[in-house]
Amino acid sequence: MSAGLDTAPRTTLRTRAVPPARAGRARRRARPPRGLKTFEFAMMAPALTVLFVLSWVPFVILIAMSFAKVRTLGGVSLTFTGADNWSAVLGDGAIWASWARSLVYFVAIVGLEMLLGLAVALVLHQLVRARSVVLSIVLLPMFLAPVLVGLLGRFMLDSTIGLYAKILQGVGLGDDLLASPSTALPTIVSIDVWQWTPLVALILLAGLTAVPPATLEAATVDGAGYLRTLVSIILPQMKPIILVALLVRSMDAIRYFDIVVATTNGGPADATKIIPIKLYEFAFRFNNQLGKAAVLGLTMLAFSIVMARIFLRFFGERPSIAAGDGGDRG
Amino acid sequence: MTTIRPPAARSMSRLLVPALAVVIAVWAGLPLLWMLLTAFKPDTAIRTSHPTISFTPTLDNFRNLFLGGNRVGAYLVNSLVVTGVSTVIAVVLGCLAGYGLTHWASRYKRDVAFWVLSTRMAPIAAVLVPLFVMFRGAGLVNTIPGLVLAHLSFNLPFAIWLMSAFFARIPESVEEAALLDGCTKWRRFRTVSLPMARAGIVTTAVLCMVFSWNDYAFSSALSGPDTATLPQAAGALVTQSGIDWGLLSALAVVVAVPMLIAGLAVRRHLVSGLSLGAVTGE
Repeated sequence: MSAGLDTAPRTTLRTRAVPPARAGRARRRARPPRGLKTFEFAMMAPALTVLFVLSWVPFVILIAMSFAKVRTLGGVSLTFTGADNWSAVLGDGAIWASWARSLVYFVAIVGLEMLLGLAVALVLHQLVRARSVVLSIVLLPMFLAPVLVGLLGRFMLDSTIGLYAKILQGVGLGDDLLASPSTALPTIVSIDVWQWTPLVALILLAGLTAVPPATLEAATVDGAGYLRTLVSIILPQMKPIILVALLVRSMDAIRYFDIVVATTNGGPADATKIIPIKLYEFAFRFNNQLGKAAVLGLTMLAFSIVMARIFLRFFGERPSIAAGDGGDRG
Repeated sequence: MTTIRPPAARSMSRLLVPALAVVIAVWAGLPLLWMLLTAFKPDTAIRTSHPTISFTPTLDNFRNLFLGGNRVGAYLVNSLVVTGVSTVIAVVLGCLAGYGLTHWASRYKRDVAFWVLSTRMAPIAAVLVPLFVMFRGAGLVNTIPGLVLAHLSFNLPFAIWLMSAFFARIPESVEEAALLDGCTKWRRFRTVSLPMARAGIVTTAVLCMVFSWNDYAFSSALSGPDTATLPQAAGALVTQSGIDWGLLSALAVVVAVPMLIAGLAVRRHLVSGLSLGAVTGE
């Protein structure tokens, strides 16, 4: 409503100021085709210059590196070797296994965090009195440095002194969960879920508070049960906000690898060697194979570029999703 | 208020919801509480196979952290400088560019927005490799300015994108009114838009600070002994001979507490910030 009222006078003003016959030419002159001489571009210039150095230059270097043998000792030098790095990476079975592992890890953490995040949001939404306090506690893990989250996980699960290890031994899970190839990946997944479910819960809670109470009341008057209301009324209304949570989480899930570094660093027996760990090894740990690392970097980059495209398509130009306050009602 | 349910369901949820809420709070909070307790425990209370909550609190761990051979004081200074400088630069440049992007009338607007967003989303591992080679060539490895630049690679696009989302929320009528009053565009930005976006600026600053303070990957790849930051100190405490958990917990408390407080202080606007401005949470 208010938007409509705003636009009306503005249009009249503009047409009065510029006679229609000359409007086209005047606009063309005032606005250079690329918009580079505008005040707005001048405001962006300093930041975009820095960003250029930190994104386009590395990107070009990354592409060059992927076709070269890179030496960094005694000055940086690139010796071009054609597609050697690419064929080595594409022909390496261990790397394909690492991709498969990354996919499992990615789907597991994002999937679990979405489901648990929804569950937490639903509980918090039903909670009237202590919502603010509980939400504050739930948010805390997000602010802990991921490397510390990994180490804290190791401490809690330490088979001789860990608090959680003791509890798990009580139910028969006596082994060191991070040291066994079959349990290491699920354990890391659950540590990541601990840290990042709060983010999903926070976003979805904002979506839940935005569902009009009248809709819910109408559904309950009709005699629909809670689960039915949830599936056929609440969730469909929350679709855009669920997509936001999914995209934000997906992009971070592939960005960070600190938790893995701090817990298993890829082991035991490669059970947790996801692609970023593999890349890090190529680049910094064993034999300096920066070219192969560059190939892996480019393939990872392709994924995040697709994510950014989807995000921008849905939420870039459109005004943002209005949602209720996530907390302070209790 | 929001839900009216049949009596049976209501009485069940009256018990079920608080019970689940307690489970959730314990799940999220217990490891942090345990970490806090461990930081004040004497070694004997940590190295026991029967985890305990009865112990005589001590400050030994904190004392060892700063006074022992661990040089955590130096790490702390590096962390403060890198986080402070990179946050200020990101927020200042981010405000300017975010405002510019929001009001830029150009057909390249979408492309610039995409560029900014995809830079923020780029996987850390993929950015690290070329940045390492660049910095090696430019002599920026193991320097504070190098680390500040590295942190800008994720915080600057984040600040631009987020500030642009916050500026876009200022009603256009307000902006137009300022222009009609004879303001220049720059004065309008300074006196009208910037004050109206104050909450957004604070949120952006806090989140930039958290990302920079908590970074481990960039600093461990690009800094050396002189420029190491606090999260690296955590990595350094992990040795072949085992981990001093008391020391590590004390360090974790030092690293985490300021961020937890800052995070909760902007809680109202967190949804906007962490969803990259896609959700308005006020």
